[in-house]
Amino acid sequence: MGRTDIGPPDYREMLPDVIKKNYGKWKYHETPRPGVLRHVSETGDEIYTVRVGSPRLVSIDFVRDLCDIADKYCDGHLRFTSRFNVEFITDSKAKADGVIAEVNKLGLPVGGTGNSISNIVHTQGWIHCHSAATDASGLVKSVMDELYDYFTNMKLPAYVRIAVACCINMCGAIHCSDLAIVGVHRRPPKVDNEKIIAQCEIPTTIQSCPTGAIRRHPDPNVKSVIVREDLCMYCANCFTVCPAMPLADPVGDGVAIYVGGKVSNARKPPMFSRMVVPFLPNNPPRWPEVVDVIKKIVEVYADNARKYERMGEWIERIGWEKFFKLTEIPFTEQHIDDFTHAIETYRTTTQFKW
Amino acid sequence: MADETPLLDELEKGPWPSYVKEIKRAAKKNKASKDLLGIQELSYKDRITHWKHGGIVGVTGYGSGVIGRYCDSPEKFPDAAAFHTFRVNHPAGWFYSTKALRKICDIWEKYGSGMTNFHGSTGDIILLGAPTENLQPCFDTLTENGFDLGGSGSALRTISGCVGKARCEWANIDTLDIVRDFTSEFQDEIHRPRWPYKFKIKASGCPNDCVAAIARADFTIIGTWKDTLRIDQAAVKNYAENGFDVKGLVVDKCPTDALEWDEKTKTLTLRAEDCVRCMHCINKMTKAIRPGVDTGATILIGSKAPIIKGAYLSWVLIPFIKIEPPYNEIKELLRKIWDWWDENGRTRERLAELIERKGFKTFLREMGIPPVPQMIYKPRANPYVFF
Amino acid sequence: MADEVTGELKQKIIDYLKTVSKAKNKEVARDIGADKHVVDKAIAELSKEGVIEYVYLGASFIKLKGGE
Repeated sequence: MGRTDIGPPDYREMLPDVIKKNYGKWKYHETPRPGVLRHVSETGDEIYTVRVGSPRLVSIDFVRDLCDIADKYCDGHLRFTSRFNVEFITDSKAKADGVIAEVNKLGLPVGGTGNSISNIVHTQGWIHCHSAATDASGLVKSVMDELYDYFTNMKLPAYVRIAVACCINMCGAIHCSDLAIVGVHRRPPKVDNEKIIAQCEIPTTIQSCPTGAIRRHPDPNVKSVIVREDLCMYCANCFTVCPAMPLADPVGDGVAIYVGGKVSNARKPPMFSRMVVPFLPNNPPRWPEVVDVIKKIVEVYADNARKYERMGEWIERIGWEKFFKLTEIPFTEQHIDDFTHAIETYRTTTQFKW
Repeated sequence: MADETPLLDELEKGPWPSYVKEIKRAAKKNKASKDLLGIQELSYKDRITHWKHGGIVGVTGYGSGVIGRYCDSPEKFPDAAAFHTFRVNHPAGWFYSTKALRKICDIWEKYGSGMTNFHGSTGDIILLGAPTENLQPCFDTLTENGFDLGGSGSALRTISGCVGKARCEWANIDTLDIVRDFTSEFQDEIHRPRWPYKFKIKASGCPNDCVAAIARADFTIIGTWKDTLRIDQAAVKNYAENGFDVKGLVVDKCPTDALEWDEKTKTLTLRAEDCVRCMHCINKMTKAIRPGVDTGATILIGSKAPIIKGAYLSWVLIPFIKIEPPYNEIKELLRKIWDWWDENGRTRERLAELIERKGFKTFLREMGIPPVPQMIYKPRANPYVFF
Repeated sequence: MADEVTGELKQKIIDYLKTVSKAKNKEVARDIGADKHVVDKAIAELSKEGVIEYVYLGASFIKLKGGE
């Protein structure tokens, strides 16, 4: 047996010299052009960071291509951001220009800084997940193809963070994004009475349901469960603990769209994203219905928000009734919350707009 | 085997870099990646996932770090029938030498599909797709080369933090060192899942919170300061003279009306007692305004995604604490929280859900933390008080 | 010492795991009447020795390796 519990490599071995030298000494930064940051240190040193979009799901040869560029221009170092962008850090503008030329040759975009739409945080989807209600990589590709110019420019009122989660487990914890696309089921689980005996514990499965929709099978000779369909909210928690309760369904599954969340504390405190489209069908390979709605929301926001106003701050200022009007998204009974604390979302004032 | 993939081929078009091109690139060298392409095409045709629950796979001594995955059509895709994934713990801040990155590529070329995520959403390097028999040798080779696995299951998940002092002037705490130190201290908690469910720790250097610590971590560490903003009046004047609307874009947008602007003298003054350290003025006038120098962190707890009782944002537990190595105070608090949660939590109950069930008051008593108004937006309106 | 892992404790854990399909560490500690922190340590050792393995079904549990 090999070594265990050694932990990851020490980050200090992974830093380029210019970072080691100026660690904790940075004074200010500016953004000379979209996708490039210039940081200036108390020591007088300066660095240029080139931020590059990546599909995240990449081959090792892609990583090797990145390494070739870093070896040539960046002292053999590079880093990734929390939104899956690649960052090449250099000590001169000339080298930064060299990086830009090389990444463009590889077909990779430079951008994602300032008031732009950065890379989409996303999950595995049909590439690798058993509980996915939609794909993630394909949705991201389709949406980013359409919003490409917003990545390479900084023309929005504020930055817009988009995220995709392929089910409501939300591995990407996307519940506080300006725009969130979430895979949803709309059919209750189909109980497999044969598999359930071998694969699941009945009491655990019953307990897993947050609405008490799962009961023991009425026939005591059948060691299985039944689902009260009127109580099921398709959360798939039962499927997570019991593989014999699949919910995935080609017609039932699709995506919902949430809007207006943020995590930064700048100006308004962090906010949750709110549902604006309860369901759109899975329509691979390009999910045109989803792309259209996302694009529409971004354009209406870009035209109407004030400078530096995040999506959620803009909607709070104009009111949700105005948001639905401007975006022409139909308001339905699904938009009205009926889960825990729902009443806190009901309007307890005569103040509203038409 | 998939020789024709008309649906996926559509995703090779368009300006954004294509993951389909990447799978095809890997598929030229690797049969498992070729089958991955076929499985993905089939999902696009059927509009449903073709992966099954994981079952038991792993490496000796660990309950974490490997996600088991089997295809539901092994007869069609024999080379990706077992397609397990490694979560490899990233170096803090996601900084790499190309030497280390190339090493990982070589190891993955030998043992796996050649497909990766840089990175997974929790922060690990994701190595996607290895057959069961390759798991142990691949893991052994990874550790021989200085890499180790991250968390999965009911364990401490891979800890992440923002770029911090390595490249940011707003880092009020040394996020990279916190991530490194805590990751090394809690290896057992990361690798051997024993709790009711997952637990996440994230550290951001300032309230801009670039790693979403306030939305995505049971234990949230956010750098802040206790004294006042540092304002460079000459630089402020420079902004104003270059046409930047200091009043309209900064002063008027201060959420607590803590800034004052003298148009005549082009001077910006702060009523420090009104400042809530939101970062807006600093973000917009990077050359003129900086955080204070009496720095530390606010500790918040509880955030998580919706499963199962709904999504939470983290809320304030400790308004201000100095964060310096060896971080003993924070580590003791974490251990106390884990003990209480493990003792009282039901299976799949996250910390915030347990606190909601038992009451925040009970939690504070158990932790020995006195209540302060910074923990809440407003006091209760109802009369149902337990004494 | 109460916080030391003994061979006797490990055997108790193995015997206990023979009676259940899977368990959480805290259930093992409760049912064999031992301190949880020591049981955690013992289970870590048993895992490194390849005696027990982890199973994930919505949450993680331990079981005897190869057992049903």
